[in-house]
Amino acid sequence: MIYDLELFKIGKVYDNGTPAVIDFNLTVEKGEFIAFLGPSGCGKTTTLRMIAGFESITSGNLMIKGERMNDIGPARRPTSMIFQNYALFPHMSVRDNIGYGLDVKNMPKAERNAKVDRILDKLGLEDVADKKSDKLSGGQRQRIALARGLVVEPDILLLDEPLGALDANLRKAIQSELKILQRELGVTFVFVTHAQSEALALSDRIVVMSNGRIEQISAPHELYTRPKTPFVAQFIGSNTIFKGAVKGHENGHLVVDTPLGLLSGDVNGDVANGADASVVIPAEAIELHALNEANRDMIAATAGGNIIDATVSRFQVVGHVAQVEVDLPDGRTLSLEAHTDKYSPGSFPVAAPIALTWKPEAATVIPAH
Amino acid sequence: MQAGGIKLTLGVYIALFLTFLYAPLMVLAILSFQIGPEGGPQFPIIEWSTYWYQHLFGLTPPSRIAPLPIKEALFRSLALAIMTMIVSTVLGVSAAQAFRKRFRGQNFVFYLIVLGMMVPGVLVGLGMALVSNELGVARHWWGTAFVLHVVYTFPFAFLVMLAIFNRFDQSVEEAAWSLGVSPARTFRKVTFPLIFPGVLSAMLFAFTLSYDEFSRTLFASGRDLTLPLAIYGTFSVEVHPNVFAFGVLTTLFSFALLSVYAILMMLSMRRAKRIAIQEEA
Repeated sequence: MIYDLELFKIGKVYDNGTPAVIDFNLTVEKGEFIAFLGPSGCGKTTTLRMIAGFESITSGNLMIKGERMNDIGPARRPTSMIFQNYALFPHMSVRDNIGYGLDVKNMPKAERNAKVDRILDKLGLEDVADKKSDKLSGGQRQRIALARGLVVEPDILLLDEPLGALDANLRKAIQSELKILQRELGVTFVFVTHAQSEALALSDRIVVMSNGRIEQISAPHELYTRPKTPFVAQFIGSNTIFKGAVKGHENGHLVVDTPLGLLSGDVNGDVANGADASVVIPAEAIELHALNEANRDMIAATAGGNIIDATVSRFQVVGHVAQVEVDLPDGRTLSLEAHTDKYSPGSFPVAAPIALTWKPEAATVIPAH
Repeated sequence: MQAGGIKLTLGVYIALFLTFLYAPLMVLAILSFQIGPEGGPQFPIIEWSTYWYQHLFGLTPPSRIAPLPIKEALFRSLALAIMTMIVSTVLGVSAAQAFRKRFRGQNFVFYLIVLGMMVPGVLVGLGMALVSNELGVARHWWGTAFVLHVVYTFPFAFLVMLAIFNRFDQSVEEAAWSLGVSPARTFRKVTFPLIFPGVLSAMLFAFTLSYDEFSRTLFASGRDLTLPLAIYGTFSVEVHPNVFAFGVLTTLFSFALLSVYAILMMLSMRRAKRIAIQEEA
């Protein structure tokens, strides 16, 4: 099978010796929507620019449609790049901007114009086609950039934080347009972002990067619920992490001995007994219970023994959302939010003893590396 | 009170600045309207007249004062300035383009280029005269002097273009490449139109610096004089107001040149503004 994009042990070292990307491996099928996600400086944009041909590749092999691309210039790669600042040609009209990539292909004029008109129509740009791009809003400009990049029918569209310069509402609108467009055209998208909400909403798979290395490649739901590394556990979602040592299996779950007691969760693969590990619990999985002398054992039993005693330090209702802050026995403070249907006003008075529980299958055990 | 003091100081400063900038020019302009041929290059004005302007174009009856020997020198200086402008601007743009990527010995090359505008002109001119004698190359304004003019003005064009490229948004070029446009075509059709205001400034620098270059040309131009040399030559005999009249005309010519520059600049600045807006958004 020929993949649209393959990266084999791709590495990038800058001239001054700083490594930017280390051992990047990824295989992308045609029509996939891939997001590179990570904090700034993690190497995601550098990797994208290596795929585009703007940055040289220090080591490894880059294949597009089965052909090695390492030494091919950006103009001769079947990729097209969308920039955060749009990078439109300011001295050309919208129509000329979009048609420019076709002009250099010696295409018959009629065919060229038909293609430009079709993409203008698809992106709702007919009304502004003959204007100069400086007269237009950010959203329109990013649509023009998309039209310009797509009209040349690239095998892979590369997007470098394309929504970063737009305001929140526009970002949502363009985000859903982008998703629909990608499904419709079946073009492979590689999308770089530092916003996890974008990556989670748009992509088929997410590549999380940190310090030049891949941390995890997973589908959004799996990434969110089953982090594989401590970095991902901290970076994605809102997780509470307890460190300890693996004690053994019990009822199909892995039990970890932590300073707060024996806690359990699910794990991918095998972990040796006694090894260092962390239990990662998504905020959504944590239940609060008002505690009294009689009910603790019963509560613990329903949660497979995952119970932590705590006290409420703050309870506040903002509209329909209840915000609870609880002090954990290890000195940490945990903030939780839920609908007031769940935590009704007055249900958790400040300083009241409470219990935190979670179902073992909702938590993930991550071996320490 | 204090603000008033600063205002006054600045006002005086500006007044002095303008005086020193324009007073020499004004004096020349006024004296160029002295009566001729008996009126000299000093106050008072005996009688207002345009005699010296007519004298310049040979429209006055013959007198003991010979017409300024500048017709051919003017042509030479213009030709030299245009040649220098073209070559220096092409070199300046290419060199600045090369400097956009880091390369080994970049700093060394930078100082090497900039040295061309730092070294004392008279010495370089003299050196060039010696070298050409040694090599048996005849000195000409279009040969030895032209080379020196390029060496002198190229750094200015280079520095202007360096500043322009410093602010240039490279992603516009990358966008063109990724659309399949070759780097050469991208430079012609995308990069060049966007840096054109800078190219204009580089051209203006090269032209004006070459047009009134004196020290380098003095020893390097050979027998045929350029305009600054020819004018200086007339001083050594006797100064008549016809030189002032000529000065006024060349100043007007410079203003005309500046206006052309300003108009071209305004047109391309509108475009530059669009880029700026695009970058901000």
